[in-house]
Amino acid sequence: MEPLRFTPSSPYTMGVELELQVVNTRDYNLARGAADLLERLGRVELPGEVKPEITESMIELNSSVHARHGALLAELRLMRDAVALHAGKLNLAICGGGTHPFQQWAERRIYSESRFEYLSDLYGYLAKQFTVFGQHIHVGCGSGDDAIYLVHALARYVPHFIALSASSPFSQGVDTAFDSSRLNAIAAFPLSGSMPFVQSWDELNAYVAKMYRFRIIGSMKDFYWDIRPKPEYGTIEIRVCDTPLTVERAAALAAYAQALAHRLLAERPHRPTRDAYLVYNYNRFQASRFGLRGNFIDPHTERHVMLADDIARTLEELAPYAEALESREPIEGLRASVASGENDAAWLRDAYQRTHSFTDVVRLQAARWAGREQ
Amino acid sequence: MPTPDFAFLPDFPPPLGALTLFGLLLLAGLVGGHLVRQVRLPAITGYVAVGMLVGHTGLGLLTAELLQQARVFVDISLGLLLYDLGRRLDLQWLRQDRWLLASGVSESLLSFVLIYVALALYGLSPLYAAIGAAIGISTSPAVVMLIAQENRAEGQVTERALSLVAMNSVAAFVIVTVLLSVLHLEYRASWVSIVLHPLYLLAGSMLLGVVAWALALALGRWLGKREERQFVMLVALVVLTVGSANMLRLSVVLALLVFGILVKNFDRRHRVLPLELGVRAQLFLVVLFVVAGASLDARYLAVAGGAGLVYVAVRFVGKMLGVMLWAPLSGLRPKSAALLGLALTPMAGFAVVMVQDVWGLYPEPDVQALAVVTSAVVLLEILGPVAVQFALRRAGEAGVPR
Repeated sequence: MEPLRFTPSSPYTMGVELELQVVNTRDYNLARGAADLLERLGRVELPGEVKPEITESMIELNSSVHARHGALLAELRLMRDAVALHAGKLNLAICGGGTHPFQQWAERRIYSESRFEYLSDLYGYLAKQFTVFGQHIHVGCGSGDDAIYLVHALARYVPHFIALSASSPFSQGVDTAFDSSRLNAIAAFPLSGSMPFVQSWDELNAYVAKMYRFRIIGSMKDFYWDIRPKPEYGTIEIRVCDTPLTVERAAALAAYAQALAHRLLAERPHRPTRDAYLVYNYNRFQASRFGLRGNFIDPHTERHVMLADDIARTLEELAPYAEALESREPIEGLRASVASGENDAAWLRDAYQRTHSFTDVVRLQAARWAGREQ
Repeated sequence: MPTPDFAFLPDFPPPLGALTLFGLLLLAGLVGGHLVRQVRLPAITGYVAVGMLVGHTGLGLLTAELLQQARVFVDISLGLLLYDLGRRLDLQWLRQDRWLLASGVSESLLSFVLIYVALALYGLSPLYAAIGAAIGISTSPAVVMLIAQENRAEGQVTERALSLVAMNSVAAFVIVTVLLSVLHLEYRASWVSIVLHPLYLLAGSMLLGVVAWALALALGRWLGKREERQFVMLVALVVLTVGSANMLRLSVVLALLVFGILVKNFDRRHRVLPLELGVRAQLFLVVLFVVAGASLDARYLAVAGGAGLVYVAVRFVGKMLGVMLWAPLSGLRPKSAALLGLALTPMAGFAVVMVQDVWGLYPEPDVQALAVVTSAVVLLEILGPVAVQFALRRAGEAGVPR
């Protein structure tokens, strides 16, 4: 296997990928409509890209690369509106959220494309259970070594992204008690987890080459790590987020990642340690189970704090960077949401409380995504 | 003569009774459906074939009297299906994709015109030709819905086909009703009945649908969003509506369609849960198709088989053209549009009921017209389900069969 080359990109640029649910407008169950929708969208001039995903009930929105939050949000809104318009013509609706509240996984159909069919063969029912919807955030890095440092430094903040994006409290028709139940679906895959404790791009290359020789992987794509470098884009990719219920939240999360990456690479506040990974799974569980109310162990001070407090403090530290990156507004928005203790999971639970019907929850979810909330 | 000692014994032969009949029909359907599935034909074809075997055309086991007894089960199943179908007519969708509405109008219109011309050329009087053509507008909701369910089909061809079926069912019913008034004129009925009968049918049936809708909303609100309770509520309202329509000599088809359409489109607070009744009442549907098969008199094929074939052909052309015309604007691939046209092939079993109703009104009906339309229905009872299954599978919309 050729050693992977990290194609540098301009630092702190960002892009997002959003996996979205395609639902019918009768009972708002997942619908089989991705192919028809993509066919229509193929004939429309759009920024970014809309792509198929593993099941016929999912599409993926890819933004282009942006240096500023404002431009990213504008583009996402444009794409959202175009997709919603064409979905409407097919009598389909689109919504965010990390899981569909009541779909039955056995009923899903795999999008017919060779890679997806291969995955479905390999993973059996896991592939269908993997009908979950995430947001991936890319942040540009100047070098492979920077990327490795950033992946380790961001590990401490993984719970932040989980709690801020959590939007999958319901799964298979029940309240899971988790804020993000989606993460549990991913944990079942053998190559999920976090990047091994390598210290440089060369060390990572050696690791990947070894795994390739073992014939455990075919390429870097087979690792489903929470954060992984993406050498061909020259980015690191944060993969723990549920797809939020609005593009505004999605863009704000990207702005958060951007400012955080800027601060971490500029200040390098901590040297990566193995110890940081000792608390990793504990913190990750707390965040996906309890959301903003989760417990958080700071790997450097070893102190326990409430996750919301740690996020609030971090947001404050980022103020100068947000200023420089022109993202004060979204960062402020996140702080307000943390202060109120509200995330999308709370919104979904509230919607269910009001309506007592998962169908209604998804209907409201779709309206919220389209930007026309009642 | 049984002696008093044996008075506890039933008469010989004992009367069959509705329940025994229901069970027998169900078993017969089961056998037929299972057999045809072995050769990958839709189960419906098996139900209909078994029906034909035991009915008029075949062994004659199912007499007209027994069929009359079975009518109640048929009415229930039709009622449930028509409610489901009404719920498929999504006005919001028609607003967002006007070309869907356009294809609904054009396929109805074109199939009407083409059948009319063909029947007129065949020598039918203009009025009977028009009635025969109007009946041909409608696609069988029962066949399309059941095939879609059986194949777990989902996608644009399936969804659009069901919307078009809902539209053409309404269109067929309204046009047949209007033509009825002209038929009255032909038979020199009084002006009062010419005007009032269709008016009573249309307005009365719609009103019945409105009442059912209002009750559903009120009860739905009171019961809350509990699936089991709302299911019972909806079945109760559907059966009640069917029964009232029969009692009041209104149209079951129109009343139930209106009920479904209103629930789907005018329930702003979403009080009524989106439940599919047909899926949960499969048993009744089996009986529906066995009875449909048994009611058909295939002997008409001998009289007017050729004309029936022409009827089927021009109707097919009309529907196909009507759909293909707007496909590019609707963003539908030509292949999907063609399959959509194909999926509209089956003719409604209640077409037979309409035919008999129309022809039964007056002492000297045009038997020739009856023969042509019935032949077409017989042909399509066999071909229709196969065509729909082929269309949905070819469109790639069929899932793993249940």
